[in-house]
Amino acid sequence: MTSTACFIIVSRNDIPIYEAEVGSAAKREDAAQLHQFVLHAALDIVQDLAWTTSAMFLKAIDRFNDLVVSVYVTAGHTRFMLLHDSRNEDGIKSFFQEVHELYIKILLNPLYLPGSRITSSHFDTKVRALARKYL
Amino acid sequence: MEPDVSIETSCMIRIAVLPIGDVPSTLLRDYHSMLLRHCTIPLSTISSFYTEHQKSPFAHQPWETGSLRFKFVLGGAPPSPWEDFQPHRKILGVIGICHCPSSPDLDLVIDQFNAAWRGYSSVLVQRCFAFSPGDSQLEDTKKRENLVLFPPSDRSAQELHLQTMMQDISASLLMEFEKWVLQAESAGTILKTPLDSQATLSSEEVIKAKKRRLARAQKTIGDYCLLAGSPVDANAHYSTALELARLTADYFWYAGALEGSVCALLVDRMGQKDIAIEDEVRYRYNSVIVHYRKSFIQENAQRVSPLTFELEATLKLARFLCRRELAKEVAELLTSAADGAKSLIDASDKLILFVEIARLFGTLGYQRKAAFFSRQVAQLYLQQENRFAAISAMQVLAMTTKAYRVQSRTSISKQSLSDETETGHVDSGKMHHQSVVSLFESQWSTLQMVVLREILLSAVRAGDPLAAWSAAARLLRSYYPLITPAGQNGLARALTNSAERLPSGTRCADPALPFIRLYSFPLHPSQMDIVKRNPAREDWWAGSAPSGPFIYTPFSKGESNDNSKQELIWIVGEPVQVFVELANPCGFDLSVDSIYLSVQSGNFDAFPLSVDLPPNSSQVITLSGIPTSIGPVVIRGCTVHCFGVITEHRFKDVDNLLLGAAQGLVLSDPFRCCGSPRLRSVSVPSISVIPPLPLLVSHVVGGDGAIILYEGEIRDVWINLANAGTVPIEQVHISLSGKNQDSVISIAYENLKSALPLKPGAEVTIPVTLKGWRLFLGESDTAAGKNAFGSMGRTLKDGSSPSLLIHYAGPLGDAQDIETNKSSVPPGRRLIVPLQICVLQGLSFVKARLLSMEIPAHVGESPSSLANMDSKPFGEAVGYSKIDRLVKIDPFRGSWGLRFLELELSNPTGVVFDISVSVQLEKSGNEDNLSVDCAAEYGYPKTRIDRDHFARVLIPLEHFKLPFLDGSIFSKDLQSDGSTAGRNSNFSERNTKAELNASIKNLISRIKVQWQSGRNCSGELNCKDAIQAALQSSVMDVLLPDPLTFGFRLARNGSENAAKLDLPKESDTSIQHIASKNSVIAHDMTPFEVLVRNNTKETIKMNLSVTCRDVAGANSIEGAKATVIWAGVLSGITMEVPPLEETKHGFSLYFLVPGEYTLVAAAVIDDANDVLRARAKSESSDEPIFCRGPPFHVHVNGTA
Repeated sequence: MTSTACFIIVSRNDIPIYEAEVGSAAKREDAAQLHQFVLHAALDIVQDLAWTTSAMFLKAIDRFNDLVVSVYVTAGHTRFMLLHDSRNEDGIKSFFQEVHELYIKILLNPLYLPGSRITSSHFDTKVRALARKYL
Repeated sequence: MEPDVSIETSCMIRIAVLPIGDVPSTLLRDYHSMLLRHCTIPLSTISSFYTEHQKSPFAHQPWETGSLRFKFVLGGAPPSPWEDFQPHRKILGVIGICHCPSSPDLDLVIDQFNAAWRGYSSVLVQRCFAFSPGDSQLEDTKKRENLVLFPPSDRSAQELHLQTMMQDISASLLMEFEKWVLQAESAGTILKTPLDSQATLSSEEVIKAKKRRLARAQKTIGDYCLLAGSPVDANAHYSTALELARLTADYFWYAGALEGSVCALLVDRMGQKDIAIEDEVRYRYNSVIVHYRKSFIQENAQRVSPLTFELEATLKLARFLCRRELAKEVAELLTSAADGAKSLIDASDKLILFVEIARLFGTLGYQRKAAFFSRQVAQLYLQQENRFAAISAMQVLAMTTKAYRVQSRTSISKQSLSDETETGHVDSGKMHHQSVVSLFESQWSTLQMVVLREILLSAVRAGDPLAAWSAAARLLRSYYPLITPAGQNGLARALTNSAERLPSGTRCADPALPFIRLYSFPLHPSQMDIVKRNPAREDWWAGSAPSGPFIYTPFSKGESNDNSKQELIWIVGEPVQVFVELANPCGFDLSVDSIYLSVQSGNFDAFPLSVDLPPNSSQVITLSGIPTSIGPVVIRGCTVHCFGVITEHRFKDVDNLLLGAAQGLVLSDPFRCCGSPRLRSVSVPSISVIPPLPLLVSHVVGGDGAIILYEGEIRDVWINLANAGTVPIEQVHISLSGKNQDSVISIAYENLKSALPLKPGAEVTIPVTLKGWRLFLGESDTAAGKNAFGSMGRTLKDGSSPSLLIHYAGPLGDAQDIETNKSSVPPGRRLIVPLQICVLQGLSFVKARLLSMEIPAHVGESPSSLANMDSKPFGEAVGYSKIDRLVKIDPFRGSWGLRFLELELSNPTGVVFDISVSVQLEKSGNEDNLSVDCAAEYGYPKTRIDRDHFARVLIPLEHFKLPFLDGSIFSKDLQSDGSTAGRNSNFSERNTKAELNASIKNLISRIKVQWQSGRNCSGELNCKDAIQAALQSSVMDVLLPDPLTFGFRLARNGSENAAKLDLPKESDTSIQHIASKNSVIAHDMTPFEVLVRNNTKETIKMNLSVTCRDVAGANSIEGAKATVIWAGVLSGITMEVPPLEETKHGFSLYFLVPGEYTLVAAAVIDDANDVLRARAKSESSDEPIFCRGPPFHVHVNGTA
């Protein structure tokens, strides 16, 4: 498991709808903020890159210092963004694919308004379990 | 590192611009900007200033196309250790700028200037420009070296002058460069960089250094060629330098020469940027970067590092490539440059690097990336802990706010704001989900909070209270749910502290707390309703206002322009109210110093209000104001003075926020978390202000409380109407609405009419007569209870009271005005005066019964009139006053079949009632009574009913008999009988009933039961139904006379006329007395007369018979024990009585035994017609009609 990882789901309207610090390192508030800043800035890169490939997994697209941003774009242009400091690309890809399945289950919920925050605790638990498994 | 580097930087001549003496900063900037226009001086323009002293080393100088470039450094710069490596880092020229009015002594100026430029060792050319000299300074012709006076003139002339001066400087510089190059070529110059080892060189290194020196010299000469604007010469020198540097492995200088050659290439190919050049540049610069990296020497890495050059080269390449199409490449370059920041030792280098990266990302259109690096810059500034750094940090952060969507309102341009309001006005209420989402696009609350907090911190450090206030306000307003109560308190303190440093009355574009939303626009109270006036109609108010009970009427739909938006009309000078809801979702007490409506249109005086909101609370308050002039009113929101600063809170913002909360896009709904009910979308209606209208106010004289009436009570109420407006009332109309409208008997409309026009301030009082309506069963049940007040409240609540609708209007305005624009008729108004009537149960009617009474008549000498008495109501009775009229019975006529209506009344109330019954008589059609007022009323003494008692009131029904039996009452009956003789009279019965009902109604309407309680409480008892029910069965007997009336009298000669006069006077004495006077003596032949009156209009033939009975009822004429002997005919008397006439028949009786006898006349009518049959209710047509008279008593005196 990586020491630092921050996972965020960004809706097509660029609103973060799910945030999780999934790293094993001790959580520091300013670090968490920096993670979000880096991820937010990486959206600019994703915005261009997403249209250049048909793959959903865009691999590592951006970095700041030793933090790498990997992105997975769904068909509905929801972006799964992972900030990490490891280089385990296969694990990250599997992680994204599994989270995508979970996300689709959330979308199928008729009470969930697409684009609004994901508040399901079940989703949160599952995502954290996946992070432990793959990252 | 240097800011703003690009590939072309290598060919720019750096000139320091220094203020000499005291130059105001604005002027300095102005002069600097004038200089900036002359960054490029074409070589062709300087040839006149140029003199070739010796052979120019720049053999290929492009005199026609080339140019010199300048870089003006305001304030100068400290010398760089890398000046030898890159001559463009040297300050090669100094321009002093002097503002003559502030430094009059030119000698002093020159001294200062000389001192200034001597600080720069590398300066080749120096000039001091003195602007706007005075006359004395111009006259001072003393020649001063390097001082140029700019004669005062207009700007264009000054610029021309400046251009000339710059051309002069350029030429001088060019000549200096030639000198330098010639010198450098001949004599070996030693060029060193901080990279070169300072330690003593070993012999091997000395040889190496000699070789290197040549390469370095060639590179430097190339640099000067570039500065001199000769790229071809530069290129030639660079090629040599590259060869030599490669041989000596002098990578750093190799990279430098390569950089120079790229610059020479670009300058040479000025303007043309094809792919080939781009590729060439990219290739060479990558090599530059690689060689700079190679030149990294581990041993002196602590002291100095070529890293900055590597980064600069990266930035130069990035800037060169910086286009949207190459975004990926540029982003990679910039990312790698950012990676280098870790290894930079100098903080200011890091700062410059991040600034440049941010700028380049910004140019690329990567706003978020730019914001990210800008924030890094700001953090570096904040680390410096001084005020100027804090100001810079604040400014840099302010630039990031757009990307993070936390920008202050002030930074959003006015144009976009006005657009926003325009569009916001059009699409009201329902917004599409997508558009709602777009409002909250890119809302990264964590980042936004961090950025705002940093802005707050930097603003506090920078000492900018307004920026601090604004940041704290934005932070508190948008992110209160994410901030702990302690943090919220801290922000509130920050707001207050900032406000203390601000002058009072400071405005800020960003609202803080509270949240304000529109609660409702109250419509006009019913007192001030505005009604559209239709000048074409007499009833101008009709159809304009939904006056009916229905909220929706299909008819009004078509008329109103189908604008879904509510429209409001306000009137100049009349205060209006708007309800708004405030919410304070934070954990501290919020005191709003003043809040008032913010009206854009400026024709509204708003009244401020101050409110205190406890933590986590919401409150609905009423904001009021007065419209001041005609036109539309646009209410955007509220202006709030809170935390020491005035802000405008727009309703639309909060509406959007609430919408977002409903969609789950925003963290929390501030109103719901304060316990306020669900979101109600209230849109601001379009409000228009119209000129003043009259205003009628009403009050009920004697207090506006409920008018308490007993059932049936009739009372006058005075309503006072006053014109409180400023316009006279010219038209007025009163109508009624609501339930129980019939309880208003009359309105003195004329009083009001005659008072028109009602001037402002004038009053008029109109009486209204009310009558308490009947309570229904359910109502009376509750009303009967002791709680009179409870029932009063209920009556008011359920709105059973009627209302007066007063439509009124002012003058119509000029006739011309109306013609020009038809819609400009000033509207009228409607005043609703609810009559708060509370009806209490009064006297209650228990039941009605019909009683009959029979008093036999006495036979006397009187000419007992057999005609119906009610047709001759006591007009002849001279001596009677009406008060005394009780039921008077003519003793000689008796009152056979007299009927009384008995009303049983109860008084459940707490007061005493007096009942008086009056019977109104109709004028009868008899000719002989014309002179008499027949419509007289019979008054009867009052009956008093105590509280909680019952009483019975008797109403005699003696005066209702018709004068004669007429066929008219049976007319329908006759018809039907005539046509369908054989049939049963089912059909006719129905007709009869209708006739009957009509006549009963007529009868009943004449009976009035009035009551009085106390002095001024009187009314009428409504018991018509009960009376009708009681009379229903026997109305025929009450109304119709018998066809024949019989009478007896003593036939005494000669006394007839006298008795007729005397008799009425005596009739109120006792019957005994009369009897004794007109006594009959036994054993005496007494003549009698039987009178038969025909009450019909046809002659009746009959068979009359008279019988006499004694007290026991036995027939005393016939039989074995007959005690009376008679003379004349007593039975089987055939008579014919003409219509409405009387016929006499005389006979004599001889009473053998004294005592009481009864005379009865009876007749069998021959050939009875249908009228008679109907009256007699005979079943078949051949049945004989038998008429019987009432018994007459005869008192026989004497001894047996």
